Amino acid sequence: MTDATMPHAQTQAAPPRRALARRVLPYAMLSPAVLVTLAIVFFPMVQTAWMSLHDYVLFRPNTFDWVGLKNFRTALQDEVLWISLWHTVIWMCTTIPAQLLLGLVTALLLNQDFPWRPVARALIIIPWALPSVVIALMWVWIYDSNYGVANEFLLRLGLIQKAIPWLANPDTALAAIILTLTWQGFPFFAVMILAGLQSIPRSYYEAASIDGASPWRQFWHITLPGISGVMVTAVLLRTIWVANSFDVIFVMTGGGPGYATYTLPLFAFVKARTNLDFGYGSAIAVLFTLLLMLVVVVYLKRTGKAVS
Amino acid sequence: MKLARTLGLASVLALSAGLAHADSTVRFWYHFDNADNPMDALITAFEEANPGITVEAENVPWNSYYDQLYTAIIGGNAPDAAMVKAFAQPRLVEMGALAPIDDWLASWDATAGLQDNLIDLVKGPDGNQYYLPVQYVVLYLYYRPDMFAELGLEVPTTCEEFREAAKALTRDTDGDGQTDVYGFGFRGSKGGHDHWASFVLGAEGVSLTEGLTSEAGVAGTQFVADLFQKDEVFPPSAPNDGFQEIIGAFKAGKTAMTIHHIGSANGMVEALGDNVSAAPVPECGGGRWTAFGDESTAVLSSAEDPVAAWKWISFLSSAGNNAKFNEATGQLPVVKADSESWTLHPQRFVQATVDSLPFAQMLPNSSETADFVNTIWPTAMQRVLTGDITAEEMNAEIAKLYGG
Repeated sequence: MTDATMPHAQTQAAPPRRALARRVLPYAMLSPAVLVTLAIVFFPMVQTAWMSLHDYVLFRPNTFDWVGLKNFRTALQDEVLWISLWHTVIWMCTTIPAQLLLGLVTALLLNQDFPWRPVARALIIIPWALPSVVIALMWVWIYDSNYGVANEFLLRLGLIQKAIPWLANPDTALAAIILTLTWQGFPFFAVMILAGLQSIPRSYYEAASIDGASPWRQFWHITLPGISGVMVTAVLLRTIWVANSFDVIFVMTGGGPGYATYTLPLFAFVKARTNLDFGYGSAIAVLFTLLLMLVVVVYLKRTGKAVS
Repeated sequence: MKLARTLGLASVLALSAGLAHADSTVRFWYHFDNADNPMDALITAFEEANPGITVEAENVPWNSYYDQLYTAIIGGNAPDAAMVKAFAQPRLVEMGALAPIDDWLASWDATAGLQDNLIDLVKGPDGNQYYLPVQYVVLYLYYRPDMFAELGLEVPTTCEEFREAAKALTRDTDGDGQTDVYGFGFRGSKGGHDHWASFVLGAEGVSLTEGLTSEAGVAGTQFVADLFQKDEVFPPSAPNDGFQEIIGAFKAGKTAMTIHHIGSANGMVEALGDNVSAAPVPECGGGRWTAFGDESTAVLSSAEDPVAAWKWISFLSSAGNNAKFNEATGQLPVVKADSESWTLHPQRFVQATVDSLPFAQMLPNSSETADFVNTIWPTAMQRVLTGDITAEEMNAEIAKLYGG
């Protein structure tokens, strides 16, 4: 009797255990990553928000007074915040489309058959693979008004009459940095779009050719819809990265001349790290995070849709 | 059982006693640009002379030196001793990060051997002594004697003469319509306040804390703006130029004058030979002002073994060792005996330094000076040079910082 009932009891108990294990397993496997993210991303985020509500200057460590929204009110009345915001808008609205366009053209070219194509595909990634500081220093020398190749080249072509101090002139400094960032970031778009291009079946093009579609119409009706998903995701991701990045600006001009190349992340960094005013710097960072949240929400919605 | 417990207790006590007398480690932060870093040799000599003390010296990059130091102090990971400049002292004292060294100095037999007044110059804002000088420099005017001779010019002694000389020296030497040589290499980015101050703070009644918004103070800043905008005697890149750019341009013959100190003299001579010399900065507005460039060492209040840290920093400022230290940094020793036997720099640069000492000054010993140096001055100066704000607005901004 006992022998007969035991297996029966086991088969009765097993399914709930397996079901429980199946429910717990994903959480167990995800938890290390979630815990690390909580510790190194969410905790500092909460800490930043908390600091932004206090008067906290690093060299007065014993003073940590609650000031409510004072830092935010001061920031909104600060001329430099609005200058930085305007530069951030220009910075994002020109850098990302320029990177996208250059990346698209590069991907279309790399998708053609030509000798040494694998080598070209490998070389194109170099600007993306180089550290930002190296890129910034390299371009500082390219733009140098005494020795830079940019001026030398333009002078020899007769396009300018005298050397231009690209990074020392407030009218050209931001544009010069945008060009640098465009060069640095376009390979990301090129690689992403190239992957998208390769997923479009060749039969679509063959059918379109038989129907007499011109190359332009093929691009418009087959290629573009085929890579639009990749492009939107890449643009959203890159928007977040470009908006947050200030390392290249910091190395190339430090925000100068004057405030000519100040962007919001740089302004927050200078206030917190150089002036040691962590309360005010945190308030600027929180304001910028709220602005950027709009893009993040669009991205998350899109990712969620793709998953479902 | 009782015996076992007694033995156990005795072992713990013995272990604790052993730990209390264990070897000390001094964590020391410094910044050297020179690749021939002599720190290892100095550490070896120190450790041989002080058995039981180990020095862990870390060369922290200059650009982020103070950012890292302040962050380390707040984060509870400060070094035991560090190289420090006077402008940072008010903040470090406010943070309670420094240990007073008055008692150690009083009983140190080498105190009298330091250069006169140096100890007083770096006295703390609260009257205590925290800093022990380790090297010093005074800023002076570098010029190209060959270019001056070619144009029949005299070394300028006043701002007016300086302006005329700079205008004459700014020229197209190869006839291609481009300016090849500029009169003066102005440092418009961080660290250039010393250049500006030499043209502005010499005027009577003008200092960072007083008289900056007076007619004389504004005239000084306007003089700098005019040199760039009207006379065009600075390279067009001046608003962004830092140390590397002004020194590089002078060595390459792109500029005929600039302001720096003896630390760059050997590099200048290596590049230009006899075609480089030095003189005190010109007199502007009736007086002269040049920067006294200090560098000291200090014991941090959080030091695990402050006595060991003091032994190490006093070792660096004692005869012989101080000379070795300064051979690497290219600056001047603070120990009288080392100065007397000093042969590292050509005499003309030592002379220019000595001639500049009587009017050399330091920046105000207040907490605002760090902001002045790091952000307020560079941003405002760049905005003036690029025409974004006026000289009056710049001086008002600095005066406001200092509560004027």
